[in-house]
Amino acid sequence: MKKVYAFESRCLGCGLCEVYCRTAHSKSKDIVKAHKKENITSSIVIEEILQPKAKTYFALQCRHCASPKCVRACIAGAMYKDENGIVRNDKEKCVGCLSCILVCPYGAVKKNKDGKAVSKCDLCINYGSQLCVKNCPNEALKLLTEEEAEDLV
Amino acid sequence: MKYLIIGNSAAGINAADAIRTLDKKGAVTIVSNEEFPAYGRPLISYFLSGKVKAENMNYRDDNFYSSRNIELFLNTEAEKVDAVNKKVTLKGGKKLDYDKLLIASGSSPFVPPIKNLKSQKNVFTFLTYKDSIKLKETIKKDSKVIIAGAGLIGLKAAEGLYGQAAKITVIDLADRVMSSVLDKTAADIIENHIKEKGIEIIHGVSIEEVEGKEKINKVKFSNGDVCGCDILIIAIGVRPNIKLAVDAGIKTARAIIVDEYMQTSRKDVYAAGDCVESLDMLSNENKVLALWPNASAQGETAGFNMTGKMRKAPASFAMNAISFFGMQLISAGIVNGGENSSFCDARAGKLRRLNIANDNLIGFVLINDNQRAGIYTALINDRTKLSCLEYDIKQKDIGLNIYPKETRKGKAWGRI
Repeated sequence: MKKVYAFESRCLGCGLCEVYCRTAHSKSKDIVKAHKKENITSSIVIEEILQPKAKTYFALQCRHCASPKCVRACIAGAMYKDENGIVRNDKEKCVGCLSCILVCPYGAVKKNKDGKAVSKCDLCINYGSQLCVKNCPNEALKLLTEEEAEDLV
Repeated sequence: MKYLIIGNSAAGINAADAIRTLDKKGAVTIVSNEEFPAYGRPLISYFLSGKVKAENMNYRDDNFYSSRNIELFLNTEAEKVDAVNKKVTLKGGKKLDYDKLLIASGSSPFVPPIKNLKSQKNVFTFLTYKDSIKLKETIKKDSKVIIAGAGLIGLKAAEGLYGQAAKITVIDLADRVMSSVLDKTAADIIENHIKEKGIEIIHGVSIEEVEGKEKINKVKFSNGDVCGCDILIIAIGVRPNIKLAVDAGIKTARAIIVDEYMQTSRKDVYAAGDCVESLDMLSNENKVLALWPNASAQGETAGFNMTGKMRKAPASFAMNAISFFGMQLISAGIVNGGENSSFCDARAGKLRRLNIANDNLIGFVLINDNQRAGIYTALINDRTKLSCLEYDIKQKDIGLNIYPKETRKGKAWGRI
């Protein structure tokens, strides 16, 4: 399966990926309405690394683990790995207990602002294309298979 | 190949799922003494409060059993395991053959001997969906509820009943709430938050006797106080269900003894979940870690190994994620011990406590401060030397940027 890989050497820390993540997961799918009217938590964590002379960044999201700890920890059966290997969270079932946050070794699950559920990358399965990858101005996010990513290591 | 699983909760379901992933042909049978398809057991307090409706109690989708061709016996008690002839006798006499057996029989509430308690109708425990349904049917606006036990189950029952009863009183022998999981500082923050809602919490007392014929109307505490009572909930603790294993000659101590592959002392019999003892990697002792994530992981491991694989169960240690009236608590590992560094903002109801020993993180408690807690859990799990990290975990919010460059890259890509 393909997932989103972050490239630290290219990331500017601009936060556009988060803006588009929220848009893709809004009801309106409209960038302005999504931010003004809908209270959406992005599924991306932008990390800042302090270097001797400057800062670097990368935009982390769910790694869709082969053996996901979050799925095993979920008390509600809300977190699941779908037939395509995408780890998804059913917000209708999620009770926001945060067991997934307790066990995710990457810190890639976020509590929703409303506290009712959690947010994590679902590879924009319902949107159709990965808006964060499309809109990254410096190609710091790429959609790759594991093999393609391995070749770049 | 015939796979038989006793128990239909986290361990049993994840085992069945793992078996079916690897063996599409074998017969998989689950026997459950409960009347419902698998449900999220910790959700019973959410059901009690009304936050989760019946249709969302299911742990897996409606066609979980049929789509995986799993035979399910509900309302069926497994009465005897014959590990020599590989048969399990069900209540009523029916016998099921197996090639590989999993005992995932869970635990039962412990009810201490209390004078006059027997055959009282308004005594409840709180471990099953049925318990929750019965409580929900019984509770009335003017009910006076007494809950014995201020652990996780007792307090979640109190939260579930909040607003539906006239008075809720929680009693416990210990000096603090959730004494097995929390240090005093953290416990006090949680306790004050719960008390603010009007729930009474009394420490240092137990129930000495109850009064009433068929129905309790008064409870007498060990300090002599007497309190009116319409509903009594016993939530003192749970005991592993090991009778089946003991009778079958399987090695047990406090719970069923298994190796790291989840095999018991008898060939082709596996066990997982609340009914087993497993190695706590932090204390290096065998412990009963009756926790949902642990049960799921053990069940999955047992399932894989029942199909002929040899996979070790992941390292385990205590961990909890729970909330009370919006206050979020996440804890893991050893909560009392090591040098500790606490950041506490009691007014905001925030606490971050990190326990460190020999350059390792050995435990943490986080209240209303849960961002990326799993990275702390990973530091415990991997026994990461803190001195090899990029910054002092006590000084800064946690992130993958704590790792040196190569590790950080590997983590960011999910390669390690």
